[in-house]
Order: sequence, then C-alpha cells, then structure tokens
Amino acid sequence: MIRKTKIILINAVLIIILAVIFISVTVFNKPHTDVSENTPNFYLEATNVLEEFQDNETQANTKYLEQVLQITGTISELNITDEKGVISLSDNDSFGSVMCHIDAKENSKLTTLKVGQMITIKGICTGYLMDVVLVKCIILN
Amino acid sequence: MKLHILLFSFLFTIVVSGQERFLTKQGYTSFFSSAPVEDIKADNNQVLSIIDTSTGTIAIAILMKSFMFEKSLMQEHFNENYVESDKYPKAKFKGQILNFNSLDQNEQEVTIDGNITIHGVTQKLETLAKITRTTDHISVQGSFPLKIADFNIKIPSVVVNNIAEIVEVSFALDHKPYKK
Repeated sequence: MIRKTKIILINAVLIIILAVIFISVTVFNKPHTDVSENTPNFYLEATNVLEEFQDNETQANTKYLEQVLQITGTISELNITDEKGVISLSDNDSFGSVMCHIDAKENSKLTTLKVGQMITIKGICTGYLMDVVLVKCIILN
Repeated sequence: MKLHILLFSFLFTIVVSGQERFLTKQGYTSFFSSAPVEDIKADNNQVLSIIDTSTGTIAIAILMKSFMFEKSLMQEHFNENYVESDKYPKAKFKGQILNFNSLDQNEQEVTIDGNITIHGVTQKLETLAKITRTTDHISVQGSFPLKIADFNIKIPSVVVNNIAEIVEVSFALDHKPYKK
C-alpha cells in the first residue's frame, strides 16, 4: 500500500515538473505580435493620427504605442533601400508624416505602388520623432 | 528636459532654414549583450539623425520601442523593466563631430563628442566613428561600449548571468541632404 502511494506521488511530482518546464518554455518562446493575424486596435486616417501626436505626444504615446494601427492615407514618398521598404503617408501641406516600415515579406507588393495613391496599411506604432513611426507593416490595399 | 528643448529648437531651426542640414530617418543602431547564459541583440532601423554641416553638430533621436529582439519576451522585459520606455520613450544624443570642416571625400576616422540620454539619465560620451562625406551624402558609423549601470538601469540578480554589465552599441547612419 505504501509503495503504491509512493509511485503515485512520484508520478504526480514528475507530471508537475514536466508541466512547469512546458509552461516556462512556451512563455519564454512566446511569439511576436503577428500583424497580419491581429485585428487592429484602431482604424485611423494618416493626417489625424499625425495631428494627435503633434498636439500632445505624451497622450498619443499612451494611446497608440505598441498597438496595431490600421491607417489610410496618401503615399507622399516611397523609399526602398537594401530590401527595406518605407512608405510615408501624408498630405503635402503638413510637416511630418506617418512612416510605415514595411515587413520584408511584403516587399513584392511595393513595386506596384505609386506616389499619390491612396493606401491602407496595418502596423505597430513605436512612437513619434519627426514622423509617426510604424513597424512590421503589411499592405492591405 | 533641457535636452528635449534643445533638440526641439534644433529641429525647428531646420524647418526655418533648410539648406545645410543632412538627415536620415532610417538610421540603424543595435546593441549587443554577451553574457555567460545567453547573447542578446536588438536592432533599430528607425533612428533619426541630423547633421548641421555648417557647425558639424549631430543630433540623434531613437525610439526605445523600435528595438526589435529575437524573442518577444526579451523585448517586453527591455521595455517594461529595464529602460521603462513608457516613461522614457526616447534616447537622445547631441554632440559635435570634431574637425568636421576639414573632411575630404575619403573615409576618415573622427571623434564625436557629446551627451547621450537614456532612461532619463544624461552622460558624456566620446567615441570614434568612420565618416564619409560627399556633396549628397554623409555616412557615419561606429560602435562604443555602454555601461548599463551608468543610466540607472537595474538588472535583477536572478538574470545577472543573462545580461552583460557593458553592452556594445553599434550605429550606421546614412544622411542625405534635407529638403522639404
């Protein structure tokens, strides 16, 4: 009888240890936010989000940093260097823009784009320097 | 805060007079930490850097949340526990490229002398950099060691073997003439 209890106990301990290892490995290897699979937290116009950052950067930071934003705007600049694509969205009147750093797997879509075209982009907001910066962007249409 | 105002007025003067500034919004910087347990590297491709060619002044602004790590958990810890990027979203550098106006078109080594602000703490920084200056392009690159403790960033003793006390910061900034 004591032996049986012992075996059950050892098994239980083993299962708990395995579970702990499994959980910690999953947590440790938690994947990055996949922009393409995430529903956006905000749907915005490029000029509006730029204005929000220009008016009150701290407030806009609290609202938008590390969030997935879906932004529509006019392409004011296209820049592809070393396989890295950057699309700037703004109307030409404003100083600054929304700079979208395009995810490398979207590069094939870049060739079809033209300055002046309307576009919708989804990406993660990392902050505001002279422009609002979005990273890991994917092109919707 | 003072530096913030300085940087802002610096940016503002660019808007007013356009010509002698070279700028990049897609500069690269990274840091590398080598510790017994693991090596950690993070890259940032969204660095803003401005050089005033009349004085050789350089101003750099970096978004802390733009540092991309291999593992998302590292990125989370970096932002939340170490650099507290909600409170201090940017790192800044303002300094002087020494002997800037005697540069010719060949790659040369220069000394850059200035102040760096990370995690709300400002420290003096002097580093060597390779610089190439032509009429339509100024490229500056180099690296320097940074002591984490100098910036009041505390590493918990549990992970002391995972994170180096001194990290290697690298940068590559490719400026173009600024026009708007």
